[in-house]
Amino acid sequence: MSWTGNPGSSKITLGLILRLSPLMLPFVVLFCGGVFLTVCQSLGIFTPLRHTGGLVDAYAVILSDPSFFASAGFSFGVALASAAGSVTAATFLAYRVWQLPNALAGAALVYKIPLILPHIAVAFVVLIFWSQSGILSSLAWHLGLIQSMPDFPNVLYSGWGLGMILAYTLKGTPFAMLLILALLVRFDVRQIQTAAMLGASKRRIFFSIVLPRLAPAMHTSFIILFLYSFGAFDIPYILSESRPGMLSLHVFDLYFKHDLARRPEAMAILTLMFCFAVLFIIAYSRTVTHLETGVRKL
Amino acid sequence: MNKFRFMSLLLILMLPAFFTMFLPARVTGGTLIDTPFDRIEAQARGSRVNWYMYGGWTHVNTWVDTFVAKEMKQRYDIHVKRVPMDAGVFINKLLNEKAAGKTTGTIDLVWINGENFKNAKETGLLFGPFAGHLPSVRQYVDPDSITHDFGFPVDGFEAPFGRAQFVFEYDTDRTDTVPDTVAALKQWIMDNPGQFTYPQPPDFTGSAFIRHIFYAVTGGHGQYMAGWNPDLYEKNAPLLWDWLNQVKPFLWQKGRTHPKDSAFLDTLFARGEVAFSMSYHPPHAQNMIMEGSYPDTVRTFALKDGSIFNTHFTAIAFNAPNKAGAMVLADFLVSVDAQVSKFQPENWGDFPVLDMNRLTSKDRQRFETVDLGPATLTPDQLAAVAVPEIPAQYLEALEQDWKTHVLDR
Amino acid sequence: MKHASHTFVLVLLFSLFALPAAILLLVGLAPGWRFPDLWPAQFSFTGIQFLIIHGDQIVSSLASSFLYSLATVFVTLGMCLTPAAVFARNRFAGKRLLEALLLTPALVPPMTFAMGLHMVFIRLSLADTVVGVVLILAMFSYPYMFRALVAGFQTLGQDYRTCARNLGAGPVAVFWQVELPLLVPAMIAGGSVVFLVAFSEYFLVFLMGGGTVPSFTGFLMPLLASSNRSLAAILTLIFLLLPIFLFFVIDGSLMRSYRKKGMV
Repeated sequence: MSWTGNPGSSKITLGLILRLSPLMLPFVVLFCGGVFLTVCQSLGIFTPLRHTGGLVDAYAVILSDPSFFASAGFSFGVALASAAGSVTAATFLAYRVWQLPNALAGAALVYKIPLILPHIAVAFVVLIFWSQSGILSSLAWHLGLIQSMPDFPNVLYSGWGLGMILAYTLKGTPFAMLLILALLVRFDVRQIQTAAMLGASKRRIFFSIVLPRLAPAMHTSFIILFLYSFGAFDIPYILSESRPGMLSLHVFDLYFKHDLARRPEAMAILTLMFCFAVLFIIAYSRTVTHLETGVRKL
Repeated sequence: MNKFRFMSLLLILMLPAFFTMFLPARVTGGTLIDTPFDRIEAQARGSRVNWYMYGGWTHVNTWVDTFVAKEMKQRYDIHVKRVPMDAGVFINKLLNEKAAGKTTGTIDLVWINGENFKNAKETGLLFGPFAGHLPSVRQYVDPDSITHDFGFPVDGFEAPFGRAQFVFEYDTDRTDTVPDTVAALKQWIMDNPGQFTYPQPPDFTGSAFIRHIFYAVTGGHGQYMAGWNPDLYEKNAPLLWDWLNQVKPFLWQKGRTHPKDSAFLDTLFARGEVAFSMSYHPPHAQNMIMEGSYPDTVRTFALKDGSIFNTHFTAIAFNAPNKAGAMVLADFLVSVDAQVSKFQPENWGDFPVLDMNRLTSKDRQRFETVDLGPATLTPDQLAAVAVPEIPAQYLEALEQDWKTHVLDR
Repeated sequence: MKHASHTFVLVLLFSLFALPAAILLLVGLAPGWRFPDLWPAQFSFTGIQFLIIHGDQIVSSLASSFLYSLATVFVTLGMCLTPAAVFARNRFAGKRLLEALLLTPALVPPMTFAMGLHMVFIRLSLADTVVGVVLILAMFSYPYMFRALVAGFQTLGQDYRTCARNLGAGPVAVFWQVELPLLVPAMIAGGSVVFLVAFSEYFLVFLMGGGTVPSFTGFLMPLLASSNRSLAAILTLIFLLLPIFLFFVIDGSLMRSYRKKGMV
């Protein structure tokens, strides 16, 4: 009846549980409890108003609404594009920053500025730069690239969520750089020197030696950024278009701007988002492990 | 087996949290309304009032944080704390608290009107009736002017605060002649593609815009004043959707997207992306000029078909921790001093709710000498085209159906 | 050649990440700046006036944000310290699964558990209090602290501990006098991320604080969404200053204390 596991691992003793408890207790009570309550409320249990319908009514309403799938797909696309963009830009920039001589490395710390800015402020910056009456548009006018305001490409309201993608990328790149640089600092320069002596090109060094070592940080930052953009509310609040809307904004509207009778719907969307996030984490980490073991076998 | 034990441990740990869901809700009772007002003032002395209100207007915020806060401190030793929050959101907060049985909340006074008031009153979120108990309301306000709010009976559950009317804003530097009827507006939009848009309902201003069109294309406001009539709505609403869909391809961004709220439209207008902005507050353009956001050449106009006016109010939360203080503040806001200060465009420019006939000639003169600024229409110009607000049920139906019939089409 | 490419990287970094801050300053001083001017035609100080008028509110909301973010850092530290040691040193059944589970709060959308908890917090009178805000922020940000501490304990290894024990130090002394000081860099690394996450969070503070817990993001949001862009820009810049200042102070004092102990 003891909580022993595989041979070779130590027993789960009372001391161990005790030492884990400062984290386990809030995790179970607040996090698991919170998710559990969200699920309950999505089923109409514990809702502020007595729920009269069936258990899965809210899910039926949501899943029968085609705009839900449009929103979900849209959120997915925005999250994917911004996370991929951030990680790519961050890998390139982090590598180049790492190569900077010590005298210049201090100046490179400016990359941390968007890390400090709240998401809403980053959204605001994107608005100032990219709107048709914005700074880039003015610049284009002065350079003679456009004759009038409407000539400037319609970045923010193209229906593709480009504004949000730009904002998330601007905010996410420094974050990914932070994680990647942390790995690079521990990187052994001699590996690169050896490869260079053996005649490897810069490109080859980057792709065959540096990149594989950075992969863990890239994967971690990708998952974090992807799921954050998928579920966060701040940036869409400033930059989203009327249609298609981001899921998080839809939930916010349902939670705050409609009567309590629709609370289960908001919670049902949250539950679906939670399930998606968990499935995504599992699927992603499985794929990564699979790929990596595949590489190792080679 | 291990898994089972683990799960049961989890559940036991979570239990205390769930028990709270079954705590009984206590009922609150108050006799404040029978208390003489000077006793209420004495009771409120030295207290703090949390005033939850829309926070997107910096000049209004400044007015509350300076004039109101200072006067309240001096006159009643009450500390006014302004909390920026949209009306829909604080209503929801109150709903949550009511459902959770929280009898002492954090919200004292709210700034509210229209469908938010209707929802709040119907679900018992408001304390009252209290408005009739305020000396300033009794003395200066014409009771007939505050019986209904968007067609919904007020019954003293909110105290009047200000009056607003809908105007359009344009830049004389960019636009020479303005369309002053709904028909001319349609023609103008079609002749100038990409230059016009309206905030996305349920935004307050965007929603008011489509009501103007609704009145104009269905034969005026009179027929709706009797209250909610679903058949009439079903018959008339399609005329509005037709009008809006006809102009849709000629709107900013081809009507695919709309500014999220009126502040966003103001920005588009200020930066020259569209030719018109609109506001439910006649002095808004003047405020923006003074703030430096609009050029000096901006002026306002109203449609001859009618320009909707309304009264906005303050109300007290059912679980307000300081109801006495909230009443003193609500009363102060209706006082001549507060209403004059609010009327001055450098402060806000919001129209007074007072009945000028009930004022002394000296007080009346204080209002008459206020210079509203060149961008604001005079009270007479506005009164000539004023039409009342529609009952709240129409408003909610229009806001909800706009999405399916216009945006998603 | 090499030099030119370094310059290019720096120019890129500055134009991507520092230029926005500079532009914010311009927007802040020129509310009427509009297309197609590359440089504002007119400057105005109405934004600065607003700052002066609302000075005490700005200071109090900044102070509140600062304090609850700092409290969040300490709460997460308290939550993660011993569990991180366990994870770095012990092997037990289900460790990998548990580690993955413990990291999920940072990954899943925080709305999913925060909205569910909201009702409970209202019932427990934790909503609208600083404690509620700190709890929910800690719940969402502790994984950063946890990862940093696990990594810290791992690099620490067992050697210091063994050595100190051999010299006769008890377990408590080992922890307080040897391990904790050596863990400070990891705590600061984790703590800075936690601080930033908490400091820049709007939604959770808004939901749990209900407007009664002042926060700078809460003060900023209505202005960012308003049409007064210059004011929004100025306040955003103020927002930047506090964390930057804080990190300079921490970096500086840390270096000094290490030099004193002869660790650098």
